[in-house]
Amino acid sequence: MSAPARGTGHGPGRLLVAVYGVLALAATARGLYQVATKLDEAPVAYVLSLLAGVVYVVATVALATDRRRLAWATVLVEAVGVVVVGTLSLVDVGDFPDETVWSGFGRGYGYVPLVLPLLGLLWLRRTGRGPVDGPEAEGPQAEGAHADGADRDGALD
Amino acid sequence: MLVPLAWLTAAACVALAAWAAWFVVRDRAVVLRQLWGAAVVEGLLVLQAVVAGVLLVTGPAEVDGVLFWGYVATQMIVLPIAAAWAFAERTRWSSVVLLVAALTVAFLEYRLVQIWGAA
Repeated sequence: MSAPARGTGHGPGRLLVAVYGVLALAATARGLYQVATKLDEAPVAYVLSLLAGVVYVVATVALATDRRRLAWATVLVEAVGVVVVGTLSLVDVGDFPDETVWSGFGRGYGYVPLVLPLLGLLWLRRTGRGPVDGPEAEGPQAEGAHADGADRDGALD
Repeated sequence: MLVPLAWLTAAACVALAAWAAWFVVRDRAVVLRQLWGAAVVEGLLVLQAVVAGVLLVTGPAEVDGVLFWGYVATQMIVLPIAAAWAFAERTRWSSVVLLVAALTVAFLEYRLVQIWGAA
């Protein structure tokens, strides 16, 4: 545990990264399946699907390892992606079957793809001062990071 | 796929999730014993994959192979990664992570049964 306690991967960020990881896994696995088995049916949608998965993977790693600039970039891409693709899939411009994470604003995934980038942006804002790198970007001094107070290293059984 | 084994696996996931939820309520981090619980679930997943493989090779069962094994592979990597991620955090968020992971595996189990039955 070398990362500072206020990094993006700690406290509530631990959960954020975990949910990001699940979505990354789901989207990437699905994208791979689509590209591998039926690319010719809707190449744009399926390549986009895989691309979305990769962006989630990068965002997960960035948040987990406290790479703030990369996290900002990827989370923003997701926020834009879900809105744009969600809208396109509603007005139905042909090549967007309901088969990417972003279709219908993430309907197929319980709207998690719509909510998660918002939470990600809020979390990045809260743990730092904006899209800046650097280990000493001013975090929420002590208050948030240690509020739980329960450092139960002794409870390992 | 052996459906009783699938339900047993799902039940084990839910039990692990309930255990983690209890720890969330108690404001505790994941303990080593819970990782052993996760290992038991993982063992059931391996057993299930072996049984499914045998059934597919020997029986008349037919499934979308890529889809099915894709889910199996996905399901198997969730708990090991989540357990490591959860265990390194020593606050209650550690337990929340394990809770989410266990529910994810349970949901994937449900999807697996659907995929198996769809053939």
